[in-house]
Amino acid sequence: MLDSFNQTPFLHSVITIGSFLILLIGLVGALSKKNLFKIFLSLAIAESSLFIYFIGMHFSIGKIAPIVTNKVTEFSNDMVDPIPQAMILTTIVIGIAVLSLALSFIISYYKLTGKMRIDDMNELGEDK
Amino acid sequence: MSLKQKISIQSILVSLVVSIMTIILLGVLLNFTTSFEPTLGNELLRINANNTKSANAVTSVVTYFRGFDTLGEVTILFLSIFGVGLGLKGFKDKLNIFSYENTLLKIGVDTLFPIIILFGIYVIIHGHLSPGGGFQGGVIIASGFLLMFLAKGDDLNINHKILELIESLSGAGFILIALLGLLVTDRFLGNFLPLGEVGKLFSGGVIPLIYIFVGIKVSAEITALLEYFIRIKDVR
Repeated sequence: MLDSFNQTPFLHSVITIGSFLILLIGLVGALSKKNLFKIFLSLAIAESSLFIYFIGMHFSIGKIAPIVTNKVTEFSNDMVDPIPQAMILTTIVIGIAVLSLALSFIISYYKLTGKMRIDDMNELGEDK
Repeated sequence: MSLKQKISIQSILVSLVVSIMTIILLGVLLNFTTSFEPTLGNELLRINANNTKSANAVTSVVTYFRGFDTLGEVTILFLSIFGVGLGLKGFKDKLNIFSYENTLLKIGVDTLFPIIILFGIYVIIHGHLSPGGGFQGGVIIASGFLLMFLAKGDDLNINHKILELIESLSGAGFILIALLGLLVTDRFLGNFLPLGEVGKLFSGGVIPLIYIFVGIKVSAEITALLEYFIRIKDVR
Protein backbone atom coordinates (compact mmCIF):
# COMPACT_ATOMS: atom_id res chain seq x y z
CA MET A 1 0.00 0.00 0.00
CA LEU A 2 2.84 2.34 0.82
CA ASP A 3 4.13 1.80 -2.70
CA SER A 4 1.49 4.13 -4.09
CA PHE A 5 3.11 6.97 -2.16
CA ASN A 6 6.43 6.27 -3.86
CA GLN A 7 5.16 7.07 -7.33
CA THR A 8 5.92 10.06 -9.50
CA PRO A 9 2.31 11.40 -9.84
CA PHE A 10 1.83 11.37 -6.07
CA LEU A 11 5.13 13.20 -5.58
CA HIS A 12 4.21 15.76 -8.22
CA SER A 13 0.81 16.42 -6.66
CA VAL A 14 2.39 16.89 -3.23
CA ILE A 15 4.87 19.35 -4.72
CA THR A 16 2.11 21.18 -6.61
CA ILE A 17 -0.16 21.54 -3.57
CA GLY A 18 2.72 22.50 -1.28
CA SER A 19 4.14 25.14 -3.57
CA PHE A 20 0.61 26.45 -4.17
CA LEU A 21 0.17 26.88 -0.41
CA ILE A 22 3.53 28.64 -0.05
CA LEU A 23 2.67 30.98 -2.93
CA LEU A 24 -0.71 31.67 -1.30
CA ILE A 25 0.93 32.48 2.05
CA GLY A 26 3.38 34.84 0.35
CA LEU A 27 0.71 36.64 -1.68
CA VAL A 28 -1.69 37.03 1.26
CA GLY A 29 1.18 38.49 3.26
CA ALA A 30 2.15 40.86 0.48
CA LEU A 31 -1.42 42.07 -0.03
CA SER A 32 -2.70 42.34 3.52
CA LYS A 33 0.31 43.45 5.59
CA LYS A 34 1.02 47.14 5.91
CA ASN A 35 4.66 47.04 7.03
CA LEU A 36 7.11 47.47 4.16
CA PHE A 37 9.55 44.87 5.52
CA LYS A 38 6.80 42.29 5.81
CA ILE A 39 5.62 42.98 2.27
CA PHE A 40 9.04 42.38 0.74
CA LEU A 41 9.75 39.32 2.88
CA SER A 42 6.36 37.91 1.82
CA LEU A 43 7.37 38.40 -1.79
CA ALA A 44 10.56 36.44 -1.03
CA ILE A 45 8.44 33.62 0.42
CA ALA A 46 6.23 33.60 -2.68
CA GLU A 47 9.37 33.43 -4.82
CA SER A 48 10.68 30.38 -2.94
CA SER A 49 7.53 28.43 -3.87
CA LEU A 50 8.46 28.70 -7.53
CA PHE A 51 11.92 27.29 -6.81
CA ILE A 52 10.39 24.24 -5.14
CA TYR A 53 7.90 23.78 -7.96
CA PHE A 54 10.43 24.13 -10.76
CA ILE A 55 12.96 21.72 -9.27
CA GLY A 56 10.36 19.27 -8.00
CA MET A 57 8.42 18.91 -11.22
CA HIS A 58 11.61 18.01 -13.08
CA PHE A 59 12.28 15.10 -10.75
CA SER A 60 10.70 11.71 -11.15
CA ILE A 61 11.16 8.58 -9.04
CA GLY A 62 14.17 6.52 -10.01
CA LYS A 63 16.27 9.36 -11.36
CA ILE A 64 19.55 10.30 -9.72
CA ALA A 65 21.52 13.49 -9.33
CA PRO A 66 23.58 14.46 -12.40
CA ILE A 67 26.91 13.83 -10.66
CA VAL A 68 29.44 11.13 -11.45
CA THR A 69 30.64 9.34 -8.32
CA ASN A 70 32.34 6.07 -7.48
CA LYS A 71 29.08 4.13 -7.95
CA VAL A 72 27.70 6.01 -10.95
CA THR A 73 30.55 6.04 -13.38
CA GLU A 74 29.05 7.64 -16.48
CA PHE A 75 26.40 10.13 -17.52
CA SER A 76 23.18 8.51 -18.68
CA ASN A 77 19.52 9.28 -19.27
CA ASP A 78 18.68 8.11 -15.73
CA MET A 79 19.92 11.43 -14.42
CA VAL A 80 17.68 14.43 -13.85
CA ASP A 81 17.85 17.34 -16.22
CA PRO A 82 20.67 19.67 -15.03
CA ILE A 83 19.35 22.77 -16.79
CA PRO A 84 16.45 23.64 -14.39
CA GLN A 85 18.81 23.39 -11.43
CA ALA A 86 21.27 25.79 -13.06
CA MET A 87 18.42 28.17 -13.94
CA ILE A 88 17.10 28.11 -10.38
CA LEU A 89 20.61 28.80 -9.07
CA THR A 90 20.61 31.94 -11.22
CA THR A 91 17.13 32.87 -10.00
CA ILE A 92 18.06 32.48 -6.33
CA VAL A 93 21.08 34.77 -6.69
CA ILE A 94 19.06 37.41 -8.54
CA GLY A 95 16.31 37.12 -5.91
CA ILE A 96 18.87 37.83 -3.17
CA ALA A 97 20.19 40.83 -5.14
CA VAL A 98 16.74 42.34 -5.68
CA LEU A 99 15.64 41.70 -2.08
CA SER A 100 18.76 43.33 -0.62
CA LEU A 101 18.34 46.39 -2.83
CA ALA A 102 14.66 46.68 -1.81
CA LEU A 103 15.51 46.38 1.89
CA SER A 104 18.15 49.11 1.57
CA PHE A 105 15.55 51.35 -0.07
CA ILE A 106 13.19 50.71 2.86
CA ILE A 107 15.90 51.66 5.37
CA SER A 108 16.70 54.86 3.46
CA TYR A 109 12.98 55.71 3.21
CA TYR A 110 12.52 55.21 6.94
CA LYS A 111 15.52 57.44 7.68
CA LEU A 112 14.20 60.20 5.41
CA THR A 113 10.53 60.21 6.42
CA GLY A 114 10.21 58.22 9.62
CA LYS A 115 7.42 56.11 8.14
CA MET A 116 7.31 52.35 7.75
CA ARG A 117 3.66 51.54 6.97
CA ILE A 118 2.22 51.89 3.51
CA ASP A 119 -1.01 53.53 4.66
CA ASP A 120 1.04 56.44 6.04
CA MET A 121 2.79 57.10 2.76
CA ASN A 122 1.63 60.30 1.07
CA GLU A 123 4.69 61.68 -0.66
CA LEU A 124 2.78 62.14 -3.90
CA GLY A 125 0.14 64.29 -2.20
CA GLU A 126 -2.68 61.79 -1.78
CA ASP A 127 -5.24 62.05 0.98
CA LYS A 128 -4.85 59.57 3.76
CA MET B 1 -2.15 47.72 17.14
CA SER B 2 -4.32 44.85 18.19
CA LEU B 3 -3.15 41.29 17.99
CA LYS B 4 -6.05 40.34 15.78
CA GLN B 5 -5.45 42.13 12.52
CA LYS B 6 -7.94 42.50 9.77
CA ILE B 7 -7.15 40.65 6.58
CA SER B 8 -9.55 41.69 3.89
CA ILE B 9 -11.44 39.05 1.93
CA GLN B 10 -10.47 40.80 -1.28
CA SER B 11 -6.75 40.27 -0.80
CA ILE B 12 -7.27 36.60 0.06
CA LEU B 13 -9.39 36.13 -3.05
CA VAL B 14 -6.88 37.93 -5.26
CA SER B 15 -3.97 35.88 -3.99
CA LEU B 16 -5.99 32.66 -4.31
CA VAL B 17 -6.79 33.38 -7.94
CA VAL B 18 -3.24 34.49 -8.75
CA SER B 19 -1.61 31.46 -7.15
CA ILE B 20 -4.05 28.99 -8.76
CA MET B 21 -3.44 30.52 -12.17
CA THR B 22 0.36 30.59 -11.68
CA ILE B 23 0.51 26.95 -10.65
CA ILE B 24 -1.79 25.83 -13.47
CA LEU B 25 0.17 27.83 -16.04
CA LEU B 26 3.51 26.48 -14.80
CA GLY B 27 2.09 22.96 -14.71
CA VAL B 28 0.95 23.22 -18.31
CA LEU B 29 4.33 24.61 -19.31
CA LEU B 30 6.38 22.04 -17.44
CA ASN B 31 4.34 19.02 -18.58
CA PHE B 32 4.75 20.04 -22.19
CA THR B 33 6.88 17.36 -23.83
CA THR B 34 8.38 17.45 -27.27
CA SER B 35 8.03 14.56 -29.67
CA PHE B 36 11.71 13.97 -30.32
CA GLU B 37 13.47 11.92 -27.70
CA PRO B 38 16.93 13.48 -27.05
CA THR B 39 15.87 16.48 -25.00
CA LEU B 40 18.23 19.34 -24.27
CA GLY B 41 19.14 17.99 -20.85
CA ASN B 42 19.93 14.50 -22.17
CA GLU B 43 21.98 15.98 -24.98
CA LEU B 44 23.94 18.15 -22.55
CA LEU B 45 24.57 15.14 -20.32
CA ARG B 46 25.87 13.23 -23.34
CA ILE B 47 28.16 16.08 -24.45
CA ASN B 48 29.31 16.64 -20.88
CA ALA B 49 31.04 13.25 -20.65
CA ASN B 50 33.49 14.13 -23.42
CA ASN B 51 33.64 17.92 -23.65
CA THR B 52 34.10 19.16 -20.12
CA LYS B 53 35.10 16.12 -17.99
CA SER B 54 33.38 17.75 -15.03
CA ALA B 55 31.82 15.20 -12.69
CA ASN B 56 28.97 17.55 -11.73
CA ALA B 57 26.75 18.29 -14.71
CA VAL B 58 25.03 21.25 -13.02
CA THR B 59 28.40 22.96 -12.56
CA SER B 60 29.31 22.48 -16.18
CA VAL B 61 25.94 23.91 -17.24
CA VAL B 62 26.39 26.92 -14.96
CA THR B 63 29.99 27.76 -15.79
CA TYR B 64 30.53 26.35 -19.28
CA PHE B 65 27.37 25.97 -21.35
CA ARG B 66 25.69 28.95 -19.70
CA GLY B 67 28.87 30.72 -18.57
CA PHE B 68 27.95 34.02 -20.16
CA ASP B 69 24.70 33.94 -18.20
CA THR B 70 26.68 33.42 -14.99
CA LEU B 71 28.80 36.45 -15.85
CA GLY B 72 25.61 38.51 -16.11
CA GLU B 73 24.35 37.05 -12.84
CA VAL B 74 27.55 38.00 -10.99
CA THR B 75 27.29 41.47 -12.52
CA ILE B 76 23.71 41.85 -11.25
CA LEU B 77 24.84 40.84 -7.75
CA PHE B 78 27.68 43.37 -7.92
CA LEU B 79 25.36 46.15 -9.12
CA SER B 80 22.79 45.53 -6.42
CA ILE B 81 25.42 45.55 -3.69
CA PHE B 82 26.87 48.73 -5.19
CA GLY B 83 23.37 50.23 -4.93
CA VAL B 84 23.00 49.09 -1.32
CA GLY B 85 26.35 50.70 -0.49
CA LEU B 86 25.28 53.95 -2.10
CA GLY B 87 21.96 53.96 -0.25
CA LEU B 88 23.36 53.11 3.17
CA LYS B 89 26.49 55.23 2.96
CA GLY B 90 28.22 56.47 6.06
CA PHE B 91 27.93 53.04 7.63
CA LYS B 92 31.36 53.27 9.23
CA ASP B 93 30.16 55.82 11.80
CA LYS B 94 27.14 53.71 12.70
CA LEU B 95 26.74 51.11 15.43
CA ASN B 96 26.28 47.40 15.05
CA ILE B 97 22.66 46.52 15.87
CA PHE B 98 23.12 42.76 16.13
CA SER B 99 25.88 42.32 18.69
CA TYR B 100 25.12 40.28 21.78
CA GLU B 101 26.97 40.20 25.08
CA ASN B 102 27.07 36.44 25.16
CA THR B 103 30.14 34.60 26.45
CA LEU B 104 29.21 31.29 24.84
CA LEU B 105 28.92 32.98 21.46
CA LYS B 106 32.18 34.87 21.87
CA ILE B 107 34.15 31.73 22.80
CA GLY B 108 32.40 29.48 20.30
CA VAL B 109 33.06 31.79 17.36
CA ASP B 110 36.82 31.57 17.85
CA THR B 111 36.60 27.82 17.39
CA LEU B 112 33.94 27.78 14.68
CA PHE B 113 35.19 30.57 12.43
CA PRO B 114 38.24 28.76 10.94
CA ILE B 115 36.21 25.58 10.45
CA ILE B 116 33.44 27.45 8.62
CA ILE B 117 35.94 29.23 6.38
CA LEU B 118 37.71 25.94 5.64
CA PHE B 119 34.39 24.26 4.80
CA GLY B 120 33.49 27.12 2.49
CA ILE B 121 36.81 26.83 0.67
CA TYR B 122 36.29 23.06 0.38
CA VAL B 123 32.82 23.55 -1.12
CA ILE B 124 34.18 26.12 -3.58
CA ILE B 125 37.13 24.13 -4.90
CA HIS B 126 35.17 20.88 -5.11
CA GLY B 127 32.36 22.53 -7.06
CA HIS B 128 33.02 20.44 -10.15
CA LEU B 129 33.11 17.13 -8.25
CA SER B 130 30.32 17.29 -5.68
CA PRO B 131 27.16 19.29 -4.94
CA GLY B 132 28.07 22.86 -4.22
CA GLY B 133 30.20 25.42 -5.94
CA GLY B 134 31.10 29.07 -5.97
CA PHE B 135 27.78 30.61 -4.94
CA GLN B 136 27.09 28.12 -2.16
CA GLY B 137 30.63 28.18 -0.77
CA GLY B 138 30.74 31.97 -0.95
CA VAL B 139 27.59 32.22 1.14
CA ILE B 140 29.06 29.72 3.66
CA ILE B 141 32.17 31.93 4.06
CA ALA B 142 29.95 34.99 4.47
CA SER B 143 27.98 33.15 7.18
CA GLY B 144 31.26 32.72 9.08
CA PHE B 145 31.74 36.49 8.91
CA LEU B 146 28.13 36.95 10.07
CA LEU B 147 28.97 34.94 13.21
CA MET B 148 31.98 37.21 13.75
CA PHE B 149 29.75 40.29 13.42
CA LEU B 150 27.30 38.85 15.96
CA ALA B 151 30.00 38.02 18.49
CA LYS B 152 32.54 40.81 18.19
CA GLY B 153 30.14 43.70 17.76
CA ASP B 154 31.76 47.04 17.07
CA ASP B 155 35.29 45.73 17.62
CA LEU B 156 35.31 43.99 14.24
CA ASN B 157 36.14 46.36 11.43
CA ILE B 158 36.53 44.90 7.98
CA ASN B 159 38.59 46.97 5.62
CA HIS B 160 36.24 47.66 2.74
CA LYS B 161 39.03 48.74 0.43
CA ILE B 162 40.55 45.24 0.63
CA LEU B 163 37.10 43.70 0.11
CA GLU B 164 36.49 45.83 -2.98
CA LEU B 165 39.96 44.97 -4.27
CA ILE B 166 39.35 41.22 -3.83
CA GLU B 167 35.93 41.52 -5.45
CA SER B 168 37.07 43.47 -8.47
CA LEU B 169 40.19 41.35 -8.99
CA SER B 170 38.16 38.14 -8.97
CA GLY B 171 35.60 39.64 -11.35
CA ALA B 172 38.45 40.70 -13.63
CA GLY B 173 39.90 37.19 -13.37
CA PHE B 174 36.61 35.70 -14.59
CA ILE B 175 36.58 38.00 -17.63
CA LEU B 176 40.32 37.40 -18.23
CA ILE B 177 39.79 33.63 -18.36
CA ALA B 178 36.84 34.14 -20.69
CA LEU B 179 38.90 36.37 -23.00
CA LEU B 180 41.82 33.90 -22.96
CA GLY B 181 39.31 31.30 -24.11
CA LEU B 182 38.35 33.67 -26.93
CA LEU B 183 42.00 34.07 -27.95
CA VAL B 184 43.19 30.47 -27.64
CA THR B 185 40.07 28.60 -28.74
CA ASP B 186 37.32 29.94 -30.95
CA ARG B 187 34.78 31.29 -28.47
CA PHE B 188 34.22 33.32 -25.32
CA LEU B 189 34.70 31.12 -22.22
CA GLY B 190 36.23 28.38 -24.32
CA ASN B 191 38.31 25.71 -22.65
CA PHE B 192 42.06 26.13 -23.17
CA LEU B 193 43.40 23.98 -20.34
CA PRO B 194 43.96 20.20 -20.39
CA LEU B 195 40.78 18.37 -19.43
CA GLY B 196 42.20 15.64 -17.18
CA GLU B 197 40.23 12.69 -15.91
CA VAL B 198 36.64 12.69 -14.63
CA GLY B 199 36.48 12.70 -10.84
CA LYS B 200 39.94 14.05 -10.11
CA LEU B 201 40.50 17.42 -8.43
CA PHE B 202 42.50 18.77 -11.37
CA SER B 203 39.98 18.12 -14.10
CA GLY B 204 37.43 19.98 -16.10
CA GLY B 205 39.72 22.57 -17.66
CA VAL B 206 38.64 26.13 -16.82
CA ILE B 207 35.50 25.14 -14.88
CA PRO B 208 37.09 24.97 -11.39
CA LEU B 209 39.04 28.19 -12.04
CA ILE B 210 35.87 30.06 -13.01
CA TYR B 211 33.99 28.71 -10.00
CA ILE B 212 36.86 29.66 -7.66
CA PHE B 213 36.73 33.24 -8.97
CA VAL B 214 32.94 33.27 -8.58
CA GLY B 215 33.30 31.95 -5.01
CA ILE B 216 35.80 34.62 -3.98
CA LYS B 217 33.64 37.32 -5.54
CA VAL B 218 30.40 36.12 -3.94
CA SER B 219 31.98 35.74 -0.49
CA ALA B 220 33.44 39.27 -0.60
CA GLU B 221 30.15 40.71 -1.86
CA ILE B 222 27.91 39.02 0.70
CA THR B 223 30.29 39.96 3.52
CA ALA B 224 30.16 43.61 2.41
CA LEU B 225 26.35 43.35 2.19
CA LEU B 226 26.14 41.98 5.74
CA GLU B 227 28.23 44.84 7.09
CA TYR B 228 26.10 47.41 5.26
CA PHE B 229 22.92 46.02 6.80
CA ILE B 230 24.31 45.40 10.27
CA ARG B 231 25.68 48.90 10.85
CA ILE B 232 22.58 51.06 10.54
CA LYS B 233 22.10 52.50 14.04
CA ASP B 234 22.98 56.14 14.40
CA VAL B 235 25.37 57.22 17.13
CA ARG B 236 23.41 59.40 19.52
